[in-house]
Amino acid sequence: MNEKTASFMLAGLKFDWPTIISITVAMVIVFVVLVWMAHRLTMKPTGKQNALEMLIEFTNGIVDSNLANKTGDNMKFLAFVLFSFIFVTNQLGLILHINVDGVTYLKSATSDPLIPMILALVSIGMSHYLSVEKIGFKNYVKNVYLSPFPFLLPINIIDQFTSFMTLGLRLFGNIFAGEVVLGLIWNLAQSAGIVTMVPSLFLAIVWIAFSLFIGAIQAYVFVVLTMVYTGEKLE
Amino acid sequence: MLNQVFIAGASDGLALGNMLFLLIAFAILMLLLKKYAWGPVVKMMDDRANKVAHDLDSAEDARQSAETLQQERQAQLTSARTDANTIVTDAKNAANQESQKIVSDAQTTAQAMQDRAAAQIEQDRDQAMLSAKDDVAELSVTIAQKIIQKELKLDDQKALIDAYIDGLGEK
Repeated sequence: MNEKTASFMLAGLKFDWPTIISITVAMVIVFVVLVWMAHRLTMKPTGKQNALEMLIEFTNGIVDSNLANKTGDNMKFLAFVLFSFIFVTNQLGLILHINVDGVTYLKSATSDPLIPMILALVSIGMSHYLSVEKIGFKNYVKNVYLSPFPFLLPINIIDQFTSFMTLGLRLFGNIFAGEVVLGLIWNLAQSAGIVTMVPSLFLAIVWIAFSLFIGAIQAYVFVVLTMVYTGEKLE
Repeated sequence: MLNQVFIAGASDGLALGNMLFLLIAFAILMLLLKKYAWGPVVKMMDDRANKVAHDLDSAEDARQSAETLQQERQAQLTSARTDANTIVTDAKNAANQESQKIVSDAQTTAQAMQDRAAAQIEQDRDQAMLSAKDDVAELSVTIAQKIIQKELKLDDQKALIDAYIDGLGEK
């Protein structure tokens, strides 16, 4: 992909407008939708409140199945926000692409590799931190790097590194591929006028439906793996 | 886009700013959601869970008290029924006695009245007989006088008539 980007420098750091805009838009959508759903709560839930509670029960269920303890209770909110954000971000690029002068200003933020990687870094970093905090540094080293046998230390180190890499790249790959294929379908549609436009339309519908599914699955998988990685380090 | 990341040259630079932006934005999102969405909803869910638990407990209590009340009422009903039976039986007996008494009293009274009436009748008859007897005696005396006067002699008769006439004149 030879995509152009528009960036600016601030305090020696490089910022990309598309990514920043995409993240901001996704977060605003998450915030507005969730606050709207949490508006006017009642003891007997109806409509949107039911949906929100189902979502919360869903993410709580992910946490409980891996971390059924006090630590898990504190992780529930993170799981909820992580799931909501990744889910919305994944779908955003499928629903809306805003392209000005060859620069895509609005897309899935997760199709920028840095974003899934930083999310994965946060998740994995947090799992290590919680492990040290809960079971102590000695137990952490023993549990994470020297088990089941001390001579597996190199493999365990690689394992920790790859679990971080795969967590980020899995999300990035799926969403990025989805957008690439969608772009290819668009190219196909434009290639020979009406002859390719009509079949491409159906192709695009099928692919978008599939990508919506993929986006949801990837959000779920990301949260589940975060909890699994945290859970296995706490044992 | 891949170039952007993996060929991170010194001039182009890795977009570290994106990372920073994501971290800060994510933290802000978490804060906001905690305050405006997650907090209230989870509180409501907890409240509901507590309420349901509380309601279940109170329902259990209410059920038990209702059962106790039911038993009490059953006992009361049984005793009330026994009482009612006793009262009815007593009343029946009392009524029987009363009626018998009334009947016997009435009989006594009637008998007394009958007796008194009979005595009265007897007395009246006796009195009537007596007065009749007097009247008869008087009448017979008068008749006898008349008969006797008829059989007197003419002179005597004359004298008698005179005497009578005199007697009339005096009257």
